[in-house]
Amino acid sequence: MTSEERVCAAIRLEKPDRVPVVPTLLPEPAARLAGLSQAQVAANSQLAVEAIFKVFDEYGAWDNPYLGAYAPIELQAIRHYPMKMRIPGKDLADDSTFQLDEQEILKPEDYDTIAEIGIDKFYYEDYLWRITDLRRDELPGTFERVVGAVMSFANECALRGTRMFFGADSLHPFFALSLMRSMVPFTQDLYYNPAPVERALKRMTADLISSQIRTVKQTGVKRLLLVEERASGFFYPPAVFERFWLPYTRQIVEALWSEGIVTIFHLDQCWDKNIPYFTQLPRGSAVVELDSTTNIFAAKDALRGHLCLHGDVPAALLSIGTPEDVASYCKRLIDKVGRDGGFILGSGCSVPADVKRENFRSMIETGKGYELSRK
Amino acid sequence: MVHGKDGMLCESAPANWAMSEDLSSALVALKRAEVVELVKLRAGRGEDPFAILEECRHGMGVVGERFQAGDYFLAELLLSAEIFKAAAAILDPYLAKGGSREPLGTVVLATMQGDIHDLGKNIVATLLRAHGFEVHDLGVDVSPYLLVEKVKQIRPDFVGISTLLTTTFGAMKEAVQLLVQAGLRNELTLVIGGGVTTPAVKDYVGADFQTTDATEGVTYCVRVAKDKRTRKATL
Repeated sequence: MTSEERVCAAIRLEKPDRVPVVPTLLPEPAARLAGLSQAQVAANSQLAVEAIFKVFDEYGAWDNPYLGAYAPIELQAIRHYPMKMRIPGKDLADDSTFQLDEQEILKPEDYDTIAEIGIDKFYYEDYLWRITDLRRDELPGTFERVVGAVMSFANECALRGTRMFFGADSLHPFFALSLMRSMVPFTQDLYYNPAPVERALKRMTADLISSQIRTVKQTGVKRLLLVEERASGFFYPPAVFERFWLPYTRQIVEALWSEGIVTIFHLDQCWDKNIPYFTQLPRGSAVVELDSTTNIFAAKDALRGHLCLHGDVPAALLSIGTPEDVASYCKRLIDKVGRDGGFILGSGCSVPADVKRENFRSMIETGKGYELSRK
Repeated sequence: MVHGKDGMLCESAPANWAMSEDLSSALVALKRAEVVELVKLRAGRGEDPFAILEECRHGMGVVGERFQAGDYFLAELLLSAEIFKAAAAILDPYLAKGGSREPLGTVVLATMQGDIHDLGKNIVATLLRAHGFEVHDLGVDVSPYLLVEKVKQIRPDFVGISTLLTTTFGAMKEAVQLLVQAGLRNELTLVIGGGVTTPAVKDYVGADFQTTDATEGVTYCVRVAKDKRTRKATL
């Protein structure tokens, strides 16, 4: 099987020749593994692309590279992180990873502005300039660099006979609002003044569907990464989840699926209480990517034969464990979660910026070799 | 819990609402406006501010129990902590006039160098204060040296370190080594917490307790502080 065939088979809930391997290798760990500073990759997304593919080649390759080679300032510009930031080489030491500085930027009255004019117009005419050091005249050039980095990334994949894991990515509207408003005020809004939040969520959902279907079609990889780190039962009771997250999520997934696009959920924090809700999504329409705080083995039981799982080698294990520990964990995942297909081996959340080289190698080699060695 | 007709909590009281003066219950029901009004009213008419604070603390204790039982979620913990902070801020000037009470224990909190996340740490700080601890919050991006200097000055019973990034493990370990070198490690209990921490991280750093659950960490501190107090009393 080719890498793409292997990944697609897992998503279709089939059993590939071996478990596909897709670590979330972003510029920060790639910089470490490629011998670059954090400041270097934070200032130059082309260099970040090079770092990721240098690691890809040096560590024997894996199935799909994980798109995400953006400089921090570009992450603000493309609405991936709608927050203030501290950037290595500028606000931080060269070897620090970039930091998100969560503040209450979005104001209560902004919900209705979003509902009225849409998130794109609001973001680029107003909000972005509350958080960024970019000048307005620098924005077109920033977009050009982002497009250039994505094209380079896609080309590097093609040169290696593979494709990007997803063709576009977006924050879930709920998560985006939580980051923009910040966690405590957003929670107060949900409990004490929910109507404006709902109006904004409704509009953002419609905006996301139309814009992301367009972007996915442009890249040709019919998979969308949808990031959500704050809606789970770790944070909110079922009443909040069912009212403010689930209906919008179903709308997104079903609209994408009707176009043949698979949603890859990047779900951080513990989703144990929420996993059963994912059976409400169409079979095979999504991948559930877990970060090791959710019980992936229980998730497999709940979603077996319905949705593919992706994960979840813990960040702490990659950071301070031994290669033997990593291999052992990977084997357990492959045996228990990947046994009957519908599983992609990956890191829990992203590979940590202080990953040990030998641990990263152990994850890739175990993922690629364990099942084949038993055949 | 009190819900409005749309299933969510009511912020403002209904027109026919009569203030019950049950501060603790109002806090448990997350009725922000009611708690603030009650605290102002009762402090203003000269009631013992420590007794009022104690009622709020009792409410926070009930919220914590419900959280531990799985009936409340982090959101409710956050909301109750914000209400408690608002109540405590109203009471502060009255408490200052009333002299000081001995805290249950003293805690130094920090997010270590290389990390500026503070949500978890802030929740823990509020919960600790609600349980009667004196909290010295050093903030975020704190160097191991600064942490140890503060420990030398404050001589706390507990040090709590919060993190959301694996890249801070090294700084946490370094802080512990500096505490050992300064002869301070055995004088205090070290608690670490945050989404990326695990029991293996506790061992790696050399902490006494690890958790990803704020209330579990606070419950542990309360137990250790009470044991310490009991031991002192029996000596």
